[in-house]
Amino acid sequence: MTANFCGRTRREFLWQTGGGFTGVALAGMLDQPFFANSARPADGGTKVFANPLAPKKPHFDAPAKSVIFLYMYGGPSHIDTFDYKPTMIGRDNETIAVKTFGRGGKKNQGRIVEPRWKFQQYGQCGHWVSELFPNLAKHVDDIAFLHSMTADSPIHGSAMLQMNTGKVQSGSPCIGSWVNYGLGTENENLPGFVVMLDPRGGPISGAKNWNSGYMPAQYEGTIFRSQGTPILDLARPAELSEAGQRRLLDTLREFNDDHAARLGNDSKLAARVASYELAFKMQSSAPEAVDFAQEPQHIQAMYGLNDKRCGTVARQCLLARRLVERGVRFVQIYSGGAHNDDNWDAHGDLKQNHDLHAGETDQPIAALLTDLKARGLLDSTLIVWGGEFGRQPTAEYEKGTGRDHNAYGFTMWAAGGGVKGGISVGTTDELGSAAVEKPFHVKHLHATMLNQLGLEPDRLTYFYGGLDQKLVGVEGAEPIREIMG
Amino acid sequence: MFPRPAYFALLALMIGFTSSLVAQDRPTASADDVAFFEKEVLPILKANCFACHGSEKKLQGGLRLTNRDEILKGGESGPAVDLKKPDESLLLQAINYDGLMMPPKGRLPKAQIDTLTKWVTRGLAWSEKAVEAATKGHGVPVVDDEARNFWAFRPVVRHDTPTVKDTKWVRTPIDAFVLAKLNENGVRPAPPASKETLLRRLFYTLTGLPPSPKDVAEFDNDQSPDAYEKVVDRLLESRHYGEHWARHWLDLVRYAESNSFERDNPKPFVWRYRDYVICSLNADKPYDQFIREQLAGDELDEVTPDSIIATGYYRLGLWDDEPADRPLAFYDGLDDIVATTSQTMLGLTANCARCHDHKIDPFTQRDYYSLLAFFHGIKPYGGDNEILRFIGDAATRTRQAAATADWDAKLAEVKKQILAVEDAIKDKLPGGEIDDFKFDGKRREILRKQRGKLISKEDHDRYESLHKERNELERQRPRSLEQALCVKEEGRPRDTFLLLRGNPQSQGDRVEPAFPSVLQAANAKPPELPTPREESESSGRRRVLADWIASPSNPLTARVMVNRVWQFHFGRGLVRSSSNFGYMGSPPTHPELLDWLASEFVRTGWKLKPLHRLIVTSNAFRMSSVISKSEISNLKSHDSDPENDLLSRFDLRRLSAEEVRDSILVACGNLNLNKTEGPSVYPVIPREVLAGQSVPGRNWEKSSPEEAASRSVFIHIKRSLAVPLLSAFDSADPDSPCPVRFATTQPAQALALINSTFANEQAALFARSLRREAGDNATACVKAALTRVLQRSPSEREIARGVKFLDHNIQHDKVSADEALRRFCLLAINLNEFVYLD
Repeated sequence: MTANFCGRTRREFLWQTGGGFTGVALAGMLDQPFFANSARPADGGTKVFANPLAPKKPHFDAPAKSVIFLYMYGGPSHIDTFDYKPTMIGRDNETIAVKTFGRGGKKNQGRIVEPRWKFQQYGQCGHWVSELFPNLAKHVDDIAFLHSMTADSPIHGSAMLQMNTGKVQSGSPCIGSWVNYGLGTENENLPGFVVMLDPRGGPISGAKNWNSGYMPAQYEGTIFRSQGTPILDLARPAELSEAGQRRLLDTLREFNDDHAARLGNDSKLAARVASYELAFKMQSSAPEAVDFAQEPQHIQAMYGLNDKRCGTVARQCLLARRLVERGVRFVQIYSGGAHNDDNWDAHGDLKQNHDLHAGETDQPIAALLTDLKARGLLDSTLIVWGGEFGRQPTAEYEKGTGRDHNAYGFTMWAAGGGVKGGISVGTTDELGSAAVEKPFHVKHLHATMLNQLGLEPDRLTYFYGGLDQKLVGVEGAEPIREIMG
Repeated sequence: MFPRPAYFALLALMIGFTSSLVAQDRPTASADDVAFFEKEVLPILKANCFACHGSEKKLQGGLRLTNRDEILKGGESGPAVDLKKPDESLLLQAINYDGLMMPPKGRLPKAQIDTLTKWVTRGLAWSEKAVEAATKGHGVPVVDDEARNFWAFRPVVRHDTPTVKDTKWVRTPIDAFVLAKLNENGVRPAPPASKETLLRRLFYTLTGLPPSPKDVAEFDNDQSPDAYEKVVDRLLESRHYGEHWARHWLDLVRYAESNSFERDNPKPFVWRYRDYVICSLNADKPYDQFIREQLAGDELDEVTPDSIIATGYYRLGLWDDEPADRPLAFYDGLDDIVATTSQTMLGLTANCARCHDHKIDPFTQRDYYSLLAFFHGIKPYGGDNEILRFIGDAATRTRQAAATADWDAKLAEVKKQILAVEDAIKDKLPGGEIDDFKFDGKRREILRKQRGKLISKEDHDRYESLHKERNELERQRPRSLEQALCVKEEGRPRDTFLLLRGNPQSQGDRVEPAFPSVLQAANAKPPELPTPREESESSGRRRVLADWIASPSNPLTARVMVNRVWQFHFGRGLVRSSSNFGYMGSPPTHPELLDWLASEFVRTGWKLKPLHRLIVTSNAFRMSSVISKSEISNLKSHDSDPENDLLSRFDLRRLSAEEVRDSILVACGNLNLNKTEGPSVYPVIPREVLAGQSVPGRNWEKSSPEEAASRSVFIHIKRSLAVPLLSAFDSADPDSPCPVRFATTQPAQALALINSTFANEQAALFARSLRREAGDNATACVKAALTRVLQRSPSEREIARGVKFLDHNIQHDKVSADEALRRFCLLAINLNEFVYLD
């Protein structure tokens, strides 16, 4: 067969969809010669069908092996954090002509809300950072700032879908799904795409933000909790001991072996037997990943594990490091949840909102960068920080400091994973109202993430609905080469 | 190398005949070499090289690799391959990163480099046809007679049933087609499935439910020749048939009960559409009528409440209530309808031609917008006025109108009183508050501050109670239950323009409604459209489209549908890509059979039940999934046909998500079959999963345990919140049409069936009902448990294994006999035999 969709031949695709997808998906997980003999390729050829979840070679050698996406849900204000706008100082309440588009619709003028925090320069590169991030600021020499990000929608629901799936409509796989589809998972005992939520609630659109869309469910993000049972249904019911469960599984297997023998040892049946063994192993490997007692005191303190304000994000960041160490491909942490001021969506009191959310994240994220670097993991771990959009330079209402959404220009940053540190790319205008120099779209960020993992954005395709679908859209997108080391 | 003109002239002189030039450079390659090129080399070139060295637009370095002569001619750096010294060819240097570095994004894997090296050194074998096929799709698709003659686009031809030697094997004409093909390939069909296997297969395929022990016993004891046919008839008459087959259709029309996006609000009365599908199937409504009602139920000669409900078809998709780009969102909505209609009813991926001509199929962008024009008058999804219609009788309508008028009057009175209080105080307010008082929302707050000051405590109390009364009233808007979610039109259709690159801001030519040109004769006239009338609520255009799709002469409609029915019986269609009958789809394994079925379907009045009967009574359906060892060594059919394209056996399949859940409830004795219609039910979703919502628990109501144990087809489908058990077992993602479910095997399924509260609770109920049925006797309980989950009598060995399991649990784990039995029940619903159908 000649047509090839990212390693999937057309026949393979048809077979998967028509004949059952991963009948042999787990073949690679049990290293049995049985599978090699019984798992036939879809095209009837001689090569053995590969497990879609088994690690796959990237398109080319690349620095990053995994991604930690620090998702600032709600949309942090770029001009109050990393995009320094000195000319705005002293112009508070001045009414100016400026085009904005937020949840309040399109406007042509507004009242300036001067940045509410002082900025100072840090590091060799001298990047300006506001006092919201005193700890993180010390890492600017490891960070590449993208000051000219743009998105298609200034509305949370659709903008989040775009940041996570590339499309403003629901139904497409998330970037974490794409990465696992393209690269498989390094650790079969843990999910390849992990999502951690803010305890105040999930984001708008909930599971759509970690869904695998038209791809099979095994590429979907798995919610991982940093306390208690990490994964849904992972814990044995209290009344069942490990030995009791083992007996149950062993007896189950005896029944299944008899059944398989009667049916000519179909590989689909063997794969299902294997999946139970894998599930059994996950019951111990996932809790092990969450066992922070293994971490020395100074590491726990560095993240702020016992700090009231930042303890949750601290646990999540530390867990992210431990998961990445264990081969998890894509970790996404949500800072902020639910609605309004429970996330970065500062429509009311800007000061109160951003003090809260920056305060919760500054120390843990800084610690994560320090920790990864010390372990030599930063080079192979791409960190991405940002929300679905930024915020406007002007006030949303007649009174107060609340800022409406801004998708015309905002800041995101990346670190590690082969990204050059201490640089900034692109600019917004003097108010931060829109990207002016080198505007980048969400798809360029996605292309960059894929590229750092060794996946060519235009080549990572999945055949669905008559089209070779891509994360970066049918027209494709170039990665942001300016920030590559 | 000579400069080209001289080289050319010299050769021409030497050979005297220019066309021999090619022959001179290309010694006849062996068939093996050509096959090697097609299979191994071409995919590498296509994946890595053609994008820059093949397309017309951006030919890098002047080198074209899609033509053998041009490879030899080379680009700016000289000939890419030198056949005299192939080892030193530039192409090989480049892929080895020796000097030039190609492809630039990273070196090819060694195996691929070896393949290309072998190809070059063995003389650059070539296949014009294969290259053309591989690069096709980058030009404009041609709509010509050849395209119209593509197997799926040409008229259905009813072939004679083939004559076969073994006439005893032929129960229905289907068998003749299947057996003829097997004979042709020297393969014998698998033996018949055992009686118990067949019964289980039949029950699941027609109703999605397992047979009861009583059904098994009755069938086993019925020795009459038509014992099987009697069960077929009974199941086709069972309402569970419609409940099961409705689910297939609901997948195809991406049925969901909420809108997705930020609020993901429920769609009012959407469940009526689900009930309509169930009832239509159970009534064996002709498929052409089924299509007409959904596409144009409001434009038919006879409009009924049912035909209005059917047009809920247009309201099942996504809806963003605050899109950033409204014109784009409007066309996204229409595209969703074009995509769903063309894929589901016609097996065409028309949606690929929204921004440009279809890259693969003979379907132009003009075709796309001509198709869209039929739908262009539809009011976009919106408030009740846009999407709901009253379907009750006249008396109810009058009552409803009176109730609404009464309610309107009451509300107006309360509002008037509130305003009177506010007006009295307005002018006395201090500066800042006067401004704020303009806003309705602020007034109550300001009056609260003025309590005991500008307004007396008593008056304020009265004012507050008026507000409460108003809120109460607003919540109690009399809303008739006799409404349907349906299509509505603007009256006059909009003008339709071709949108360049799909952009609503850049209009191209104006187009009129028309059917895809490849499905029309070259000189076909555009369809006649009804003249729009001022008083008419709709344009009548959808009726025209519906009549064309539901016509016996449409080459796709019947083919696509019979193929789907085949797929849902056999696990895959005769055409595996069941929603893509285009060039990229897979051709039918049995084209004559497909056409025969299509023509038979139309001949028998587009009725599904006769088609089901034809299929399930065939020998093709009754074969075993297993071939005995001696057969394997004789026939090697597994070796020669791993995908079972020849249909030499029945394919083992995993139960679908709904079948898994419903079967657990059946086995545990809890499936509630009383729920047959109406608003959906809400099984318990674990708190951890609800925590993923921005407002945990929002729009997920609580059903009673009995209601929650209804069949899965009645579960509320909320786009952003899937029931974990169902999604783990690959239920359809409802955002886009799902023609074929995945059947994954993954540990999350095992965890859900071993550890979830649902599985453990059901196991406990299972154990309790066994105690009632079989008492304290361990053997009796194990036997009853296995009989229920496997729908057969367990063997002695299996019973002994179960009893041993109980003993061990009691003795080693020191648990009660009841807990031991509960664990065995948990084990039973995890058996492979339970979740697989053979």
